[in-house]
Amino acid sequence: MTRVLVVWCPDWPATAAGVDAATPGAAVARGRVEACTAAARAQGVRRGQRLRDAQRRCPELVVRERDTGAEGRLFEAVVAAVAELTPRVEVVRPGLCAIPARGPARFYGGEEALRVLVQDMVVEAGYDCGSGVADGLFAAELAARAGQGGVVVPEGGAAAFLAPYPLSVLDRPELADLLRRLGVATLGAFAALPSGHVAGRFGADGALAHRLARGEEPRPPAPVPGVPDLSVRADLDPPAARAEQVVFAAKRLAGELHEGLAAGGLTCVRLETSVGFADGHVLRRLWRHDGRLSALAVAERVRWQLSAWRSERPVPGTDPDGVEAPPEDEAVWGGVTWLELAPDQLVPDVGRQEGLWGGTAVTDRVARAADRVQALLGHHGITRPVLAGGRGPGERVVRVPVGDLPPAGAPDGPWPGRVGAPAPAAVPPRAASAEVVDAAGGPVVVSARCAVSAPPAALAFGGGTAAVTGWTGPWPADERWWDPARSRRLARFQVVTEDGAAYLLAVEGGRWHVEASYD
Amino acid sequence: MPEAALRGIAAGAPEGSGVPVLPALRALVPGGVLRPGSVVGLTGLGAASLGAALAAGATAPEGEDGPGGWCGVVGLPEFGVLAAAGMGAAPERLLLVDEPGDRWPDVVAALAEAVGLILLRPPERPGAAAVRRLSALARRHGCVLTLTGAFADAWPGTRLRLRLEDVAWHGLGDGHGRLRGRLADVVAEGPGPARRVRLWFPDADGAVAPAETVPALKPVGGPVSAGGPVSAGGPVHTVAGEEIA
Repeated sequence: MTRVLVVWCPDWPATAAGVDAATPGAAVARGRVEACTAAARAQGVRRGQRLRDAQRRCPELVVRERDTGAEGRLFEAVVAAVAELTPRVEVVRPGLCAIPARGPARFYGGEEALRVLVQDMVVEAGYDCGSGVADGLFAAELAARAGQGGVVVPEGGAAAFLAPYPLSVLDRPELADLLRRLGVATLGAFAALPSGHVAGRFGADGALAHRLARGEEPRPPAPVPGVPDLSVRADLDPPAARAEQVVFAAKRLAGELHEGLAAGGLTCVRLETSVGFADGHVLRRLWRHDGRLSALAVAERVRWQLSAWRSERPVPGTDPDGVEAPPEDEAVWGGVTWLELAPDQLVPDVGRQEGLWGGTAVTDRVARAADRVQALLGHHGITRPVLAGGRGPGERVVRVPVGDLPPAGAPDGPWPGRVGAPAPAAVPPRAASAEVVDAAGGPVVVSARCAVSAPPAALAFGGGTAAVTGWTGPWPADERWWDPARSRRLARFQVVTEDGAAYLLAVEGGRWHVEASYD
Repeated sequence: MPEAALRGIAAGAPEGSGVPVLPALRALVPGGVLRPGSVVGLTGLGAASLGAALAAGATAPEGEDGPGGWCGVVGLPEFGVLAAAGMGAAPERLLLVDEPGDRWPDVVAALAEAVGLILLRPPERPGAAAVRRLSALARRHGCVLTLTGAFADAWPGTRLRLRLEDVAWHGLGDGHGRLRGRLADVVAEGPGPARRVRLWFPDADGAVAPAETVPALKPVGGPVSAGGPVSAGGPVHTVAGEEIA
């Protein structure tokens, strides 16, 4: 049984979003609380709560949008602090990293001494954390969360340590719910069930959870004898000067790696990414893989690694060694000369299949073309539109970068005030401001009760003026009134001008805009 | 997906034919399809709708449930995805490159290998070298280049030019009604005499239909005169005007 030390930074999404731990704050995504600080928790804010409920319980809540990119980037600082003590740090996910404890514990004088030392290193780096040592990753994570800043669970004591925990820590809500109804409330009670019966009743995933509850490694490292070297490497010549080029290469390499793994029916528990620079410097990092990372997710991790490294490179002219740092814009890291992805801990692939591209398959040729455009313009340079709910024509289209999964199907609720078909053919990303005047030349005003002061007679925008020959409206829309920062109250009009053009206008706060053109 | 199906999608259309157009526009295009590798120009009023219609024709599912082709839209951040979808486009087969900047020739070159139709608005006057390179690439890969915007006319070798004439929007009154469709002549100029069809472009559902199919639009004879019966159209509001106060 491997001894594992886990460093756990509490409420990492909130910390990474820039919320101070002492103030009540929350990181939200899609209107739900994803993480909150201890101060917010004390006031009744919970994970998964709707933002509205959270704000009711805690009116002074600081709300930030969740930023997964920043989470990965900032966590590099924590990993770097831990890596000062022992080089092999495994990032389980941003907010949680693990190191094998046996060797370092012997070196630093015992597991408790190592635990405190690691904790001090991370706290010195400026982040609150807990650290725990136990048999296996699962028990060690709970040990890091236990007590004041974590505990050491003695060897062989994982099962006893886990026994009193509720089933919710398994992070399998359906299983936990079912077991609760069967009268099994704690991990100890679950662990006491015969494993053969658990596997028969709950399948492979249930058996995995059962192994966790018994304090065993979820799946034993199963080295296959005589496995060829599956690591993949790309040499970049000339050295890549831009992160995009490296990420692009990483995406391709990850595809090759996954092909190699799939051919052997294998998956890797961890993935080591190494980036070599022209000056001989090598950046290595381990990422938890578990067969769950797509090629794009691997590329994303390489991007985090690079951007974190760039943020800590010396500012030009301030290098303590007197070596002149390269100028800001060119070859910022001296150029990347090679990139290697190496699978670590190969285990048989028991099958976890996730669609890489979402609903409609993107063909090889289209994917290759999109990759090339992304290499030129960045990941967001080429998008596929997804129709979504909304009132205005611009709101009803979401642009998803090629390769990203489209947003999970939002319910297509009723949208009172939605502009009906036919849809305008030109919807500029930013509405152009316009002037609408009545027959007397005065501005047309819409009152708070949606009364129009006078029929619009002329529309002026973009340097031209045209007489209005037909108009309709106002169609009021009062959107997101619950959120003062994003609430909009506007009234829409359709007008036809003398030159045969038709426009969708919006008046908001007394100002007119051409929201779209029925070109 | 079987290998053969993948090839079919990637090619955009079966070999030897071309990029399909909407049924209502077939009479305008020689042979009823856009010839692979040709260049189409869209100018004037209605260029955005014409672009959306061509994108719809290129990506619309073929036959029973056969997959449609792919369409790239380069340099048109205002491209009306919803309008194209209303005309029959499959949005998931559109690739949008909103801000190609000065890399637009490279973007078009990359897309030309993969998609059947590229809708392009060059952000600058295209240089002769870029025109030669992209035209050659389009011919080699059988991709139709569709030019729009201020520099649409600056592309030599344009085979077909489409524009709208004699347009009239219907459904809007003086303070009531809603836009219900536009009757327009779509004019195609190319080799041979100019062709012209009268179409609902779009009709009340956002689709493109021949002008004879009026029955679906019965309630709207033409612009409703002031003081006439108020059209029942327009968005539905669950709240009264007071809500906005």
